[in-house]
Amino acid sequence: MEKILEITNVSKSFGKVKAVDNISFNVTKGEMLAYLGVNGAGKSTTISMICGTLKGDSGSIKVCGEDIKKNSNYTKNKIGVVFQNSVLDQTLTVYDNLKYRASLYGITGNKFRERFVTLEKMFDLKEIKNQKVKTLSGGQRRRVDIARAIIHNPEFLILDEPTTGLDPNTRKNIWNIIRYLRKNNGMTVFLTTHYMEETTDADFIIIIDKGKIIAKGSPLDLKNKYAKDIIRIYHINEEDVKKLKLPYRKINDGYKIEIENTTLATDLIVENKEIFKDYEITKGKMDDVFLNATGNRIEDVYEENN
Amino acid sequence: MKKIINLTIRNIKVYFSDKGMFLTSLITPAILLILYATFLSNVFQSTFVNAMPKGIELSKKLLNGLVKGQLVASLLSVSCITVAFCSNMLMVQDKVNENIKDLMITPTDKKTLVISYFLASFISTLIVNLFALILCLIYIASSGWFMNLMDVLLIVLNVVILTLFGCVLSSIINSFLSTQGQISVVGTIVSSMYGFIAGAYMPMSQFGAGLRKVLLYLPTTYGTALMKNSVMRGPFRELEKIVPGNIVNSLKKSLDIGLLFNGNVVEASTMYLIVLMTIVVLFAVYVLKSIYYKEV
Ligand SMILES: Nc1ncnc2c1ncn2[C@@H]1O[C@H](COP(=O)(O)OP(=O)(O)OP(=O)(O)O)[C@@H](O)[C@H]1O
Ligand SMILES: [Mg+2]
Repeated sequence: MEKILEITNVSKSFGKVKAVDNISFNVTKGEMLAYLGVNGAGKSTTISMICGTLKGDSGSIKVCGEDIKKNSNYTKNKIGVVFQNSVLDQTLTVYDNLKYRASLYGITGNKFRERFVTLEKMFDLKEIKNQKVKTLSGGQRRRVDIARAIIHNPEFLILDEPTTGLDPNTRKNIWNIIRYLRKNNGMTVFLTTHYMEETTDADFIIIIDKGKIIAKGSPLDLKNKYAKDIIRIYHINEEDVKKLKLPYRKINDGYKIEIENTTLATDLIVENKEIFKDYEITKGKMDDVFLNATGNRIEDVYEENN
Repeated sequence: MKKIINLTIRNIKVYFSDKGMFLTSLITPAILLILYATFLSNVFQSTFVNAMPKGIELSKKLLNGLVKGQLVASLLSVSCITVAFCSNMLMVQDKVNENIKDLMITPTDKKTLVISYFLASFISTLIVNLFALILCLIYIASSGWFMNLMDVLLIVLNVVILTLFGCVLSSIINSFLSTQGQISVVGTIVSSMYGFIAGAYMPMSQFGAGLRKVLLYLPTTYGTALMKNSVMRGPFRELEKIVPGNIVNSLKKSLDIGLLFNGNVVEASTMYLIVLMTIVVLFAVYVLKSIYYKEV
């Protein structure tokens, strides 16, 4: 399988802070990687090194098989980046922003006008194209950011918290765009986010903490490893639940227990058929994976009633 | 090449659409206008009147020409530099709000970036100053016009040279800056102080001998002198018709139009040479620094 991104033993320090600490991983063509970590874990720093705005201290990064230092013009043409903070020219119009950025990829004149028509449709830019960027709403600006990122039709799209601060509806719109790009353009996606539900689409998840990779795998792998299964038993009384000799918690119409994994859950149910008349079992959520993996146990933060 | 052109246009558009940057560059001209409106023009008027030998009286028109010439020359020579500094702050602003990252992720090399900033600053500054020049010419034409076509062309040439000079100087200094605070500090210092060292707020002949000596080693002094030379050519030609040459010469000296270096008169051609050489050297330093210095 063709590798789009190969990161090998990459480190970067700012003074005493090891922002990225000996990280290695690959991303395969067409995949979506969710790159997670708490604030300050080193996500944006990793991205800056991949797109060449920051020099790493050591290690090597290859994009589409080429080293980013040796063949930077090649790799820069392959990468599109949506930065965490918008980096468009605030006082210029949407159209001008796209026009001048495109020219830096050698896309000018008719080639640009054609490209703009495509993007205008895809991102619904008709209404806002003559508006100054600073006057756009957060959601509109994000759409323009993404349009800017793919102006040169890159193979590899990097999104640094693309949906932070957006309302649920706008987030959905942004996600529809990302899904469309993956499906129709076969784009490989590198995503960082703090919304765990956005990672369910990912083929692969990496969690970093203080610059180090602390967990990686598919969403299912990680759930199995880091999140407990949850069984909700309805319409029973407390004495029965106590018989299970497991910690429990009262919820509406019943009780809720956490259990290490699904196999153990099955055993438990089989052994206590008389108690399990009306129940449901769910896998842990990515939120739990994230909190458990990063060691931030903030229990009871989430509404336990459901 | 296309990249340089497009990037330059982008830079120019950003400068003119950012009112903050544009207005800061007008601080010095504004200070100058206020100084003239309140007292400088009176000071100059009496300077000219008192310098006249007994029995010779200046016509109203000639007096106007001389005084307005002083204002216009100061204004232009200062604004070429300060506007250049402010328009060139774009390169710092791009770092501050991280727009530079968005340029750096494109397959564009540093040389292109650096040259585009320079070109944009040059063109923006030239546009502003040529516009200012037109206003100045209209102002002089209202009463006190003694210039011929050659004089006007010389002024235009000097505006271009001083603008170039302002651009190379600001390019080097601004390339060391990277925060909003530094932009404000340097922008304000240059905008308010440059008028002093260029002798725009008051002629250098009023300064102490030590300071005068130091200023004679600054190329900016010669730039200002050139500008004053070209603007005052017309009125002085007129003046020479009615008063003896030695009086005209001492007037020129007191107004920094004729400069003495170690007692020798500095010719206009020497001044051009000094300023142009400085421009070439500074430009080379700027490009080399940007290429070899690791930060953008
Ligand atoms: N230019 C810099 N100078 C000094 N320290 C930096 C710089 N950039 C990042 N850091 C530090 O490196 C660490 C990682 O920062 P980074 O921006 O990569 O985190 P992040 O994972 O993107 O966080 P967030 O989720 O808040 O965006 C932090 O401790 C940060 O303070
Ligand atoms: Mg970040």
